[in-house]
Amino acid sequence: MAVVADAGTLYGLLAVGAGLATGLAGIGAGMGEQGIGAAVVGVVAEEPGFLGKGLFLMLLPETLIIFGLAVSLILMFAWTPFSGIVTP
Amino acid sequence: MPVLRLPKFGSPVKYAYITGRVRALKTKLVPAEMYARMMNMDMSEIARYLEETQYKDEIDALSKDYSGVELIEHATFANMAKTFRKLEEVSIDEPSFLILEYLRRWDVWNIKTLLRGKFYGATDTEIVKHLVPAGELSSERLNELAKKDSITDIISAFDGTDYSSALAQYDGKNLASLENALDKLYYFRMERAVGGTLSVGGGLLLKYVRREVDIRNLITLFRMNKAGIDAAVIQENLIPGGKLHDELSRMAGQPFGEFLRALEGYPFWSSISDIASVDLDAVSRIEARLRAYLIRYAWALSNYHPLSILPVLGYMVSKETEVSNIRKIVRGKEAGLPAELVEEQVVVA
Repeated sequence: MAVVADAGTLYGLLAVGAGLATGLAGIGAGMGEQGIGAAVVGVVAEEPGFLGKGLFLMLLPETLIIFGLAVSLILMFAWTPFSGIVTP
Repeated sequence: MPVLRLPKFGSPVKYAYITGRVRALKTKLVPAEMYARMMNMDMSEIARYLEETQYKDEIDALSKDYSGVELIEHATFANMAKTFRKLEEVSIDEPSFLILEYLRRWDVWNIKTLLRGKFYGATDTEIVKHLVPAGELSSERLNELAKKDSITDIISAFDGTDYSSALAQYDGKNLASLENALDKLYYFRMERAVGGTLSVGGGLLLKYVRREVDIRNLITLFRMNKAGIDAAVIQENLIPGGKLHDELSRMAGQPFGEFLRALEGYPFWSSISDIASVDLDAVSRIEARLRAYLIRYAWALSNYHPLSILPVLGYMVSKETEVSNIRKIVRGKEAGLPAELVEEQVVVA
């Protein structure tokens, strides 16, 4: 079976996908964090002792980036789609 | 028509900071069970207790000028003014605009205090003692106004502001009509300002303000219907703008029993049903219950929209109530009133 494809293009698209996975996850986490961050700063201004708990709450949306990053890493290094490509 | 500052409309995220802050401040309010304990303390113990709370700075600062009841009274007012000013200063755009609009009630309070003080010939230092610079008028401006010689001078100092139309009603003989006009102006302004905002919080603030007007009118009705005053006079004293204005104004001048029966079925009825009877001895008990209802209502609204002006409103209402409760307790103690009587007046939501 001969699939005609430019390996360079495919690899480029893969890299774009990996970039989007981390990038979009980052934007989403940032949007989630803006309100939490503002609220935490507000509470800490009155109750400095809340800083630890506040930081923990602030970092919760950050975990979403890790999913994005994991997908990116899999795409770039662990997944090998090129094995099926036979260049003419 | 005065110019209305139009706010910029923001997403709920703009409220995150200020609501976080007021929720932290809410935890510092005097807990409800402390009021009962305060009833058993003497004046210096109350002052010492307040020194352990958020009132510390004010108690420390004012303790060299005042003592006893006066110290507590001035310290609580000064703390409230400071807190409210802070809330207004640390917020931006729509929250700041709405907070200021709410705080104008203290401008109205100050103008009333100034006029009353001048009317009864108090000195300017005496008047300044009772001012609460929590609103838009700064303490410098208020001091300046207190130094004016007569009521007409104070009134002319407000020329060109929103207040001029209300203040023009001064006839030189009594202040009652002028004070009513100021109240009406405040609620009118509030409604207009809130109507200009588009966020959900603005609409709910208006809902609260309408309910507050209703409750104030209801208290007026309780007092005046109890005293058997003429319907036309009562209707003149009702503040327009409430949701139930038409229904309440129809109740004006009704015999007391009939009036109570007409109130059944309204949302606030359940909070007064056990004490509202034809042989009611003191309207102030009803007033305390209705005010408590209003605080619960403000916080209940804030649960629907946690990121809006409503938690801030709830906090401001609670703080005002706390200050008035502490004042009631210390004033009651000073006057030697029986504890049960004072306890009835304390508003606990």
